[in-house]
Amino acid sequence: MSLEERVIKTIEENLEKKEKVGLNTDLRNDLGLDSFARVIIINALEDEFGITIPDYEFKNINTVAEIVKGLREHFPDLKES
Amino acid sequence: MRRVNFYSGLDIDLSLAHKYDFNPYYCNIESSLSDPIIIDGKEFINLASNNYLGLAADKRVAQAIAQAAEKYGASMCGTPIATGSMVLLQRLEQRLANFIGLQDSIIFPSGYQANCALFLSLAQSEDLIIIDHYAHASLVQGVRLAGCKVKPFLHNNVSHLRKILEKSSEYKRVFVVTESVFSTEGSIAPFDEIVNLCAEFDALPVIDDSHGIGVIGRSGRGILEEKNLDNFDGIYTASLGKALANTGGIISGKKELIDYLKYSCPGFIYSTALPPPVLAGIEAVLDIIDKEFPILSERMWRYKQMISNCLIDSGFELTEGQAPITSILIKDLEDCARVAKMIHTNKILATPFVPPSVPPNENKIRLIAGANLSENTINKALDLFRKIGKEVNLK
Ligand SMILES: Cc1ncc(COP(=O)(O)O)c(C=O)c1O
Repeated sequence: MSLEERVIKTIEENLEKKEKVGLNTDLRNDLGLDSFARVIIINALEDEFGITIPDYEFKNINTVAEIVKGLREHFPDLKES
Repeated sequence: MRRVNFYSGLDIDLSLAHKYDFNPYYCNIESSLSDPIIIDGKEFINLASNNYLGLAADKRVAQAIAQAAEKYGASMCGTPIATGSMVLLQRLEQRLANFIGLQDSIIFPSGYQANCALFLSLAQSEDLIIIDHYAHASLVQGVRLAGCKVKPFLHNNVSHLRKILEKSSEYKRVFVVTESVFSTEGSIAPFDEIVNLCAEFDALPVIDDSHGIGVIGRSGRGILEEKNLDNFDGIYTASLGKALANTGGIISGKKELIDYLKYSCPGFIYSTALPPPVLAGIEAVLDIIDKEFPILSERMWRYKQMISNCLIDSGFELTEGQAPITSILIKDLEDCARVAKMIHTNKILATPFVPPSVPPNENKIRLIAGANLSENTINKALDLFRKIGKEVNLK
């Protein structure tokens, strides 16, 4: 599974309601995530990839594509599968 | 310049209220929670208050309050650790603990304060607090103040909670925080399962039973009775301003916990104790619950059923609540504003919830029929809901 696919799957599994998520999905405008919902996603990504994401890394992130980009930048060793 | 910027930065978005020329918040109630209530000189049917058992304007309660005011005056002008510690306070703390089925309790000026103060004095930096995503603002505020790691779990989702607990062994202590009844939708937490999970993973359950105390359970004793949790060894909090029809908040649990909080909880020690008339009012409500709960609760549940059935028949979508709360679910925000205004124009007082109180596209209008309302009043409300249902035309 590519990094993109793993991020999307992790997000989909950690939402209150079933929603289709894509790279361009906006966390606030499309999914309506409040601050706790964002924390749920961050924690799930940390567990999925075995990393610790500092709070500020996620502050200005809006879309799924930006999450993937951020993960690649800060955790270059992340495996694609 | 900084001061000008400060005040100009205090922005609130009232565009929706302006567009519909209707603001449902901060209305001018001019009567007690009677049937009807009076708002701006007009008679309204009150389906908004958390006055589940309808005891807020009960004559016997008012009388007990008046007598206590006569005997003890308005206030003890002291914190519980000082001159606030009067015989009524201590008696009520023990009585509430007995009522809930726990060893001891302490009474705070409000439920909000109890929830905030709790975590500040109990949680440490090496601890983990796991909290339901939709927990009340006071709990969220409290856990954020605690300064330890906070992990929300998906609402009422026990398998998500388990996943988080499975990865919790590195923390010194783990608290799992939730509410019994989620009041915007009326759902009841699977708290028996949560308590079992806590036992399995050596975590401490914390339950806010604000909308459960006096409401659920065979004799109105709340979530512990509802779920048959006889030997609960976690932490219990509740507001006394809902079914108990007064004001204040409690923390209840094992004696060691309560003794500790009495000497180590700044939010308790440094805040003026509830005044004697309020303490007497709560005692009077407990007396009534002891004798009349079956009658009051039968009426409360019957009214809820009547209102829910009527709204479904009138074409509204409702949340799936198991508490005596009926919540109309309206996805579109403007539709919600429109329906809220129609309900208000028909002289029914209801509570609209829009973001951030609820998630986007899950706007709600909450209806709670207190047991003080007459069946005639409920039937009048049903006629109005049928009329609104015909006129409304939702998107
Ligand atoms: C679940 C819950 N907890 C706590 C509170 C706060 O209690 P109080 O109004 O006594 O401050 C409320 C509402 O007011 C509530 O609904």
